[in-house]
Amino acid sequence: MRFIAFHLMPYRNLPADFEARYPSVWVNVPKSLYDPAEGHRLYHQYLDELEFAVDLGYDGIGVNEHHSNAYGLMPSPNLMGSILARKVRHSSKTALLVLGNSIALYNPPIRVAEEMAMLDVLSGGKFIGGFPVGTSMDTNYCYGVNPAEMRDRYYEAHDLIIKGWKTEAPFAFNGKYTQLRYVNPWPRPMQTPHPPVWIPGGGSVETYDFAIKHNYSFSYLSFFGYRYAKKVMGPFWERAQALGADMNPYRAGYAQLLCVSETDARAQTDYEQHVRYFFAKCLHIDPRHYEAPGYRTAATLRAGLRSQFEAAESATQLLKEGKLDWNGLLDRGFVIAGSPATVRDRLIEAARELNTGNILLLNHIGSMPHHLTTKNLQIFAEEVMPQIRRADPFEKWNPSAYWPQKVLSERL
Amino acid sequence: MPQPTVREYVLPRDITITTLEAGRGEPLMFLHGAGGLTWDPFLDTLATNYRVYAPHLPGSGPSRGLENIRDLWDLVITYYDLLDALGVDSINLVGHSLGGMIACEMAAADPSRVQRLVALCPAGVFHENRPAPDLFALLPRERVEYITYDPQSELASSLLALPEEVDEKVEVLIDRLTTLQAAAKFLWPIPDKGLRRRMHRIKAPTLLIWGRQDRMIPPAYADDFKAGIPQAELVMLDKASHLVHLEQCAQCVELIGKFMSGTAPKSP
Repeated sequence: MRFIAFHLMPYRNLPADFEARYPSVWVNVPKSLYDPAEGHRLYHQYLDELEFAVDLGYDGIGVNEHHSNAYGLMPSPNLMGSILARKVRHSSKTALLVLGNSIALYNPPIRVAEEMAMLDVLSGGKFIGGFPVGTSMDTNYCYGVNPAEMRDRYYEAHDLIIKGWKTEAPFAFNGKYTQLRYVNPWPRPMQTPHPPVWIPGGGSVETYDFAIKHNYSFSYLSFFGYRYAKKVMGPFWERAQALGADMNPYRAGYAQLLCVSETDARAQTDYEQHVRYFFAKCLHIDPRHYEAPGYRTAATLRAGLRSQFEAAESATQLLKEGKLDWNGLLDRGFVIAGSPATVRDRLIEAARELNTGNILLLNHIGSMPHHLTTKNLQIFAEEVMPQIRRADPFEKWNPSAYWPQKVLSERL
Repeated sequence: MPQPTVREYVLPRDITITTLEAGRGEPLMFLHGAGGLTWDPFLDTLATNYRVYAPHLPGSGPSRGLENIRDLWDLVITYYDLLDALGVDSINLVGHSLGGMIACEMAAADPSRVQRLVALCPAGVFHENRPAPDLFALLPRERVEYITYDPQSELASSLLALPEEVDEKVEVLIDRLTTLQAAAKFLWPIPDKGLRRRMHRIKAPTLLIWGRQDRMIPPAYADDFKAGIPQAELVMLDKASHLVHLEQCAQCVELIGKFMSGTAPKSP
C-alpha cells in the first residue's frame, strides 16, 4: 500500500452560520468571506504541512484543482506543485502528485504538457500528473465549458498532450477544438516517455474504460470513505476484468478522511469539530449547480437516478441534517479515526475490500488547525505506516507502471 | 386532440430528425424551445389552417445526431437539409425561445428559405446589466415558476408531473435532461451567439410575440429584436409568461393567422 498526503487547502474561517446564510461553498460563494491576510497564513501553513509529509516519508504529496471554491483554494495546483517540487527534489521516497489539471479547461491544452513537464523536471522525475474530467461546478458553471462537448474536449486534449510528450519532432494538430500548426512543447519531461498519469473520477463507466485502456491509475475521490467507495470500485474492477486487465491494486486509489490520535476517544476530542466543519460547510453545495444537463451520459444517469429513488435514506442527506454522530460517521466509513491500531486495521480492511493500493489520505480536514494537522500526519507516518508496510496485503504487486521509478527504487 | 403523423428524415452527416406533422394548407415549420416538443393545443390549432411540420431538435426526443452538429451554424445547415428533405424551397417559420433564435438565424443566413417569420419570445440576446435567469441553474420547480404566468395552473403542474413507477419516472427524467442538454449545446453558457450582428440580414416579414410577464426572457429583450430586424412587428400579450403560445393560445394563433394572410397587426 502506498500513502499520499493529499491537501484540499480549504478556507478554515467560514462563519458559524455559513450554511444557513449563504447559498453554496462553490460557484457563487461570496468573495467577501475571504480575508487575504488569513489566506496568506493558510497557504503557507498548508505548504508547510505537505513539506512535513515529505520529511515523514509519505509516498506522495498531492494537490488538486478547483475554481470559485472555498474548500479548495487551488485554482492553479501547478503553482503549488512548483513550490513543493523544491522540497520533493531532495527526497528519495516521495512523489509529487497533481491530481490534477482539468485538461479540457486549458486553452490550448498543450499548456498542461508544458507545465507538467516543468514539474517533472523541477521535481527530478518524481511527478505524477492527473487528468480529471472535472466537476460540473468547475468546468461547466465556473469555466463555461459546454456540457455537451466536455467529454469530447477532454479526450481530444488528452490525445494532444500525450502526443506532445511522446513525439520527438514538431507536428501539426488539426483537432475539433484545438488547431495548432506547430506542436513542440519544451521542456520534455524527465520521465520517459512521460510521467505516470492518474485519472480521478466519479462513477462513470466511460472513465473506468478510459483509465483501464490506457493503463492509467484510476482514483475515486469522494469524501465519503471506503464503504461508499465500494459502489464505484466494485464496478471498476468488473470492467478491468472484462477488458482483460490485471488486478494490480496500484491500478486504483481512493480518498479517505483520516484522523489518528493517541486513543480512539482522543481522536474524537481532537478532530470531531473539524470533521463537522468539513461536512457542514465545505460540502454545502447549491443543488442548482450539482450537474449541468449533459454532464453525465444517459447510461450513467439511468443507474444513478434509479438508486437515488430506491435508497431509503441517503447518507449525505443525514449528514446535511446533522443527524450522524461521531460513531455514525465512523460506522459508515466516511472517516477512519482512532488510535494507531484502530486506524491501521480499518485502512487494511478498506484497501483489501476495494483492492486499492494508492490511498489518498485527507489528513487535513475542514477547519483543522496547523498543530493538529502535523500531529495527524506524524502519528500516522510513525505509528501506522510502518506497521502497515510490515503487513502489506499488496506486497506481491509491482507499482512501477503507476509510480515514478525514482521513488520506488529505495523501497523495492 | 387528433394525433399527428410521426415521420423520420435521414439527413447528411448521420443526422436523423423526427417530425410531428399534421394539417393541410400552406407549409409552416415550428421549432420548439429548450423544454422539448410535444403536440400541444397551439400546434393542434395551427394545424387547422396549415400543414405543420414540427421537428424534434437533434439530441432531443427521437431525433439523433447531436454529436455530429458542432455549433449553431452547423445546426442551421441541418435545418436547411431538413427543408431539402421535405422538398420545400421556402417556408413559414414559427420558433419559440431557443427555436425562435434558430428561426431568426435561418432567416438571416439564407433569407430565400424563410417566407414569414414568427418568433415567440426568442432567445439569442443577453445583457450583462439586466441578465435573464440561468435556465440551466434552476431547480425544476423554479424553472416552471419562471416560464408560467400562473405557477398553480394545470399547465404548470403538467410540466412537473412524473409517473409513479420508478422505471417510467427515470425515463421521463432522462428525456427531460437530454432535451435540456441538446438545448444547452446551443445556449451554453450564455444564450447569445451573436444573433444581433446578423439580424439585419432577415428579409422575411417578422412577427414577434412576447408574454408581458415573461420571467425567463424579460420583455425588455424584445426591443433588440424589434430594432434589429428590418420588418418586425412586436405584440405583447398580457397574462402570459414564457409559455405565451400556450397561456394565450387563441390570441397567438389569431395573430399568426392575420400575419400570415398579410394583415400584420399593430401592437396594442
